[in-house]
Amino acid sequence: MDFKSLFTRKSKSSNIATQRLKLILTQDRFDVSEDSMKQLQFELTEVLAKYFEFTMTSVSMSLKREGNSYVLMADFPYHDSAK
Amino acid sequence: MGKVIVITSGKGGVGKTTSTANLGTALAMIGKTVVIIDADVGLRNLDVVMGLESRVVFTSMDVIEKRCDLDKALVKDRRVEDLMLLAASQRNRKDDIKPEQMFDICERLREEYDFILVDSPAGIEQGFHNAAAGAEEAIIITTPDVSAIRDADRIIGLLQNQNIDPISLILNRLSPTLVKKGNMISKNDVLDILNIDLLGVVPEDEGVIASTNRGVPLVHNEQSPGAEAYMRIARRMTGQRVPIPEMREDNFFSNILNWFSRK
Ligand SMILES: Nc1ncnc2c1ncn2[C@@H]1O[C@H](COP(=O)(O)OP(=O)(O)O)[C@@H](O)[C@H]1O
Ligand SMILES: [Mg+2]
Repeated sequence: MDFKSLFTRKSKSSNIATQRLKLILTQDRFDVSEDSMKQLQFELTEVLAKYFEFTMTSVSMSLKREGNSYVLMADFPYHDSAK
Repeated sequence: MGKVIVITSGKGGVGKTTSTANLGTALAMIGKTVVIIDADVGLRNLDVVMGLESRVVFTSMDVIEKRCDLDKALVKDRRVEDLMLLAASQRNRKDDIKPEQMFDICERLREEYDFILVDSPAGIEQGFHNAAAGAEEAIIITTPDVSAIRDADRIIGLLQNQNIDPISLILNRLSPTLVKKGNMISKNDVLDILNIDLLGVVPEDEGVIASTNRGVPLVHNEQSPGAEAYMRIARRMTGQRVPIPEMREDNFFSNILNWFSRK
């Protein structure tokens, strides 16, 4: 532990704010409900699971602004269950 | 032909009027001819922030309803050359003005002036649409907090649909000390989230409040960090390449902490 961390709180409020914002903006930009979003993520995971042998953990999706349009980004972190 | 730039944010109270007053003054100080327009009909305050309220005789409403010529409605700032204010009517409502009328005023002004800065009201309704109607470019003002950034994102989407380009960002009221403590969203996080060009960063500066009290824009006082930031932004707006400096905090305690945690 470094000296400085004695003086700072564990989860910084700025990190929490940034995470909350990313979630809020993803929903604003997609213009879909949280439920449909979860459903979408669930279905995408199912499709991928047909082709690959792995266990998905915490899938996340976001829309990133690129000039005048958006790029849909999805992260599918996984554990290789074959190993 | 001049440029018409709308200064907007979505959320209120983030520094649109302060930025319009200071950028307008700063651009005039570096030799540009400038008109600043208050598009906040019914809640006008650009004249007050500029300290010109006692000299406003006519407003944009008078021009639209042909009670006076456009030239006559412009209030001349006497502290700097070639800076004019077009005030908003306090008695009218935002939808008393039509986007076409605003467009028309901006078109006429850009034939004679280098920069026309339009101070937008808060919100995404008629008042915002009027303010943006004559603009080809936009400056988004945000502060580093969740709700202001969320609203900024919404506004950016709306402006892109109207083919306003470029759209750039001023991050206002940044406190490097708070960022360092982990209690304020950092510049890089804001840029990562909004993903638009950064025009500049204006620090939290007590001088802003004092200057508003006096009705003298901050940039008249070159000593303050806020004034320096606005001067740099104005120079950038004229096409000069002026770097955006990383802000340093000058907090004694955190400097000591830094010293201890040096690798
Ligand atoms: N950089 C700054 N530092 C300190 N106070 C600021 C700064 N920018 C704006 N303010 C203050 O915030 C308040 C809202 O600013 P204003 O320009 O009127 O916002 P808006 O036009 O977006 O509603 C004012 O009281 C102003 O003095
Ligand atoms: Mg305002």
